[in-house]
Amino acid sequence: MKQLDRGILSSFDLKKKPILIGYSIMVLVLVIMSCSMVYPILTTLFNGLKTNVEVNSFPPKFLPSEWHFDNFKKGWNFIDLPEFLRNTLYIFGGNLVITVGVLGLASFSLSRLNVPKRKAIYFFFMMTLFIPPTTYIIPNFVNLKDLGLMNSFAAFWLPAGANAFFLLLLKNFFDEIHYEIFEAARIDGASDWRSFVQIALPLSIPIFSTLAIFIFSSSWNDWFWPSLIMHNDSHYPLATAIYKYVINAKGLALNIRFAILTMVMLPPIVVFLVFQKYIMRGLHLGGVKG
Amino acid sequence: MEQHAAVANVPLERKGRFAVLWRKHFWGLLFLLPAFVIFILFLWVPIFKGFIYSFYHIDFVKGNSFVGFDNYKVALHDEDAWTAVKNTVYYMFLCLVIGFWIPIVFAIAISELRRFQGIVRVAAYLPNIIPVVVLYGLWRWFYDPVGPINGVITGWFGADEPVSFMTDTRWSMISLVIMESWQQFGSAMLIYLAAVLSIPRDWYEAAEIDGAGVWNRIRHITLPSIKGLLGLLLILQLIGTSQGYQSQLAMLDGGPNNTTLTYALLIVKYAFNQQNYGVASALGVLMFIVLGLLAIVQYRLQGKEGDVR
Repeated sequence: MKQLDRGILSSFDLKKKPILIGYSIMVLVLVIMSCSMVYPILTTLFNGLKTNVEVNSFPPKFLPSEWHFDNFKKGWNFIDLPEFLRNTLYIFGGNLVITVGVLGLASFSLSRLNVPKRKAIYFFFMMTLFIPPTTYIIPNFVNLKDLGLMNSFAAFWLPAGANAFFLLLLKNFFDEIHYEIFEAARIDGASDWRSFVQIALPLSIPIFSTLAIFIFSSSWNDWFWPSLIMHNDSHYPLATAIYKYVINAKGLALNIRFAILTMVMLPPIVVFLVFQKYIMRGLHLGGVKG
Repeated sequence: MEQHAAVANVPLERKGRFAVLWRKHFWGLLFLLPAFVIFILFLWVPIFKGFIYSFYHIDFVKGNSFVGFDNYKVALHDEDAWTAVKNTVYYMFLCLVIGFWIPIVFAIAISELRRFQGIVRVAAYLPNIIPVVVLYGLWRWFYDPVGPINGVITGWFGADEPVSFMTDTRWSMISLVIMESWQQFGSAMLIYLAAVLSIPRDWYEAAEIDGAGVWNRIRHITLPSIKGLLGLLLILQLIGTSQGYQSQLAMLDGGPNNTTLTYALLIVKYAFNQQNYGVASALGVLMFIVLGLLAIVQYRLQGKEGDVR
């Protein structure tokens, strides 16, 4: 059925005075909300361009009176950003590969192949969604230590494959693919491995791009766990390094600090604006996520 | 599902039951094997080790030694633990009061926008995109006694002295909750928005013809339609906030005077400040028991919603 061109309010409602006033107030509130969301981002940027004296002046002003672009150069030289960036990208890349390999295979198998006791196996994976991660954060750490994975990227890559939520998304996706495609492949003599690599994987690029965005944001965001696992600069990801050396730094001028924060903040925002369509769809797909 | 699984049954020579089953299931099980190993190694082993460690004194150098219920005794006799429980409940309460209803209101409001809906949506989601470490730096400055918020309070509203949002024990937890609500409301809002937009428009039409006012339409059509989702997100929020510790750790390290010391933060502190992994594991087990009840409710609700599983 065609959706009527109306929401809760119809165009008839909007002709009434009290409703129109209420609607205007609502729009105003939404505008204020949008501004309050964008304001902190711009503040960070502009504070990064001010002189230190101006950032510390009270009451603070929004726009800088002079534009100091050299703050960014100083911030760039303050810590070795490219090295930390490389570590973050290492973690991101490895996590993505493991997720595609391990969870892709498993969900394909659960969705398309002959597996005995499918329900029980699925339950074995899904149960982990209902156990709150903070309750086993300490044994998890000790476990990684026992496995000798301290201060190595493998401590991030391997556990990335243990994500029941991603498994759920992937399995739902494979369930949607028409099975005639796989049937045809089988009649043509393709093995299960070939139908996974040559049919299932190429077809599931949309879902993997969604997962890639999730993984990107988590590897870009996570600062606490890496600070426990990693022990030196050559292994810290960007977020941990920023927390250790910028947020908690004593005697770092505020304007330089904001310049560094701006540089860290911009890549995710750019990624978001470019891949907006996928991200919004991913959120929809994820539906209800913990 | 069953019919296309049957397609794989290419006629098998009769070799013996085992060989037949083996051929039938070989690839399926092989594909599952890596996930099996990784789930066991990195999820199930830590989960079970948590119970075992809670009875041991963990020492990486000399080796572990069995101590019975001592870890639990230490945990239950620690005054900080009770403070932490109180703080966590207070934190969960504040997150409900400040954070829970905002996404619902905004989702309904945004669904009513005829233009620029996309832009407002993106704007609301933006804070989710910014790395949290950047937010910590940013909000520390916002909440500073000479930061912009105090600039507005003293400048526009003429308050006598600035509020120390971070170091005042009455304000510290509230400040953190406001920060987190601001950052996270976008994702919940988008979930509600999708639900609100999927309500058939002709229901409203019918209600309007029957003379229902705007408020009645919201109350009797919109809210009941998203009721299941409300319950589910409520449980998920409770589960999430009961485990919160990162912003408390990053912004205030549990201070001032332990007012932002949450239970999860206490676990982390026992483990990584005092190197007492045994007590930390015991605290984790106690938390597991309490949260297990919540998880059962979540499981039930998600079954009803049909989104997950």
